[in-house]
Amino acid sequence: MTTKPQAQMIAPDAYPQMMTGKDVAQAMATLKSAQTKAKAQGAMKAAAPPMRAAILQYVDQLEEAGQDLVRIFDLMHEIRGFAETAGLATTGRIADILCRYMDDMLRLGKAMDAHLVALHVAAITRAARAEKDDEAMGQIVVTELAALVTRRLMEAQNTPKP
Amino acid sequence: MKHFSSTAISARSAESSKRMSGSGFESLKALVVDDNAHMRSLLRALLNSIGIKEVQEAAHGGAALDMLRSKKIDLVLTDMQMQPMDGLEFTRQVRLSDTSPNPFVPIIMISGHTERHRIEVARDAGVTEFLAKPITAAHLFSRIAEIVERPRAFVRTEGYFGPDRRRRQDDNFAGPWRRANDFADTEVR
Repeated sequence: MTTKPQAQMIAPDAYPQMMTGKDVAQAMATLKSAQTKAKAQGAMKAAAPPMRAAILQYVDQLEEAGQDLVRIFDLMHEIRGFAETAGLATTGRIADILCRYMDDMLRLGKAMDAHLVALHVAAITRAARAEKDDEAMGQIVVTELAALVTRRLMEAQNTPKP
Repeated sequence: MKHFSSTAISARSAESSKRMSGSGFESLKALVVDDNAHMRSLLRALLNSIGIKEVQEAAHGGAALDMLRSKKIDLVLTDMQMQPMDGLEFTRQVRLSDTSPNPFVPIIMISGHTERHRIEVARDAGVTEFLAKPITAAHLFSRIAEIVERPRAFVRTEGYFGPDRRRRQDDNFAGPWRRANDFADTEVR
């Protein structure tokens, strides 16, 4: 019979820390300070225009991807990650719905509905290219797409694998 | 009796007030690994906002490893999906490679892939914290605060080296342990 190797635990004070002593208290104060918050907000705001430009490039690539679901999957996760920072909340929410659908279908081992994917791609393309993020219209689109995806996922869960 | 010149005193005073007005982060060096230049730029700006002035950048895991070997780095922020080496493999290399310059360096993984199984894979690779995209400054700072304020023990088992994957330690917990010989050779203090 062989015995399993033992787990070794190394306590925080037994390896080099990122910071110690007074620096810890100072760092925590910095992280919570209003001055830091203002600087960080400035950084987020400054990042929005280039992020928006990046999203538009991703949208172009989405259109070029056609029915390449692997490519769409990758691009959709990128868009979901950047859209809100770019000030494109609706785009981000639509991308989030499609990401959840694609992830769940992969997990279930089921074929994705190409039409449903195309519908989301079209909605994202429109939302991202709109001059302003139309919250009201965006919310309607997001609600409808989310309901559709929920229905499709329930159908997928209730049908046996081919 | 020791005498200080006025120049020496004012220099010492300036140093002291500089320390007092410091952020606690200014001596740290960070590494940002992301294939998207805009994301690297944003993360750099956010790190700058807390006082980290020296921020290195890499576009993938391989370049990041080279950077870690050539510079002392105190904090790593890495994306998950990158080519040719992704953030997961990069993290495993940092934690497990014999040539890793700092297997204990805190690693915050930032990803738009936020499904549970992916977060578990990241945890099992040895990341210290996980941050979902889209990022906010508050969320990034909360992860950094965790590392600063509550550094975690490291665990070495046959197939894993990295931060203790159990988030909360219960001092009153007396078992049952997942393995009979858990922490038999412990260095816990």
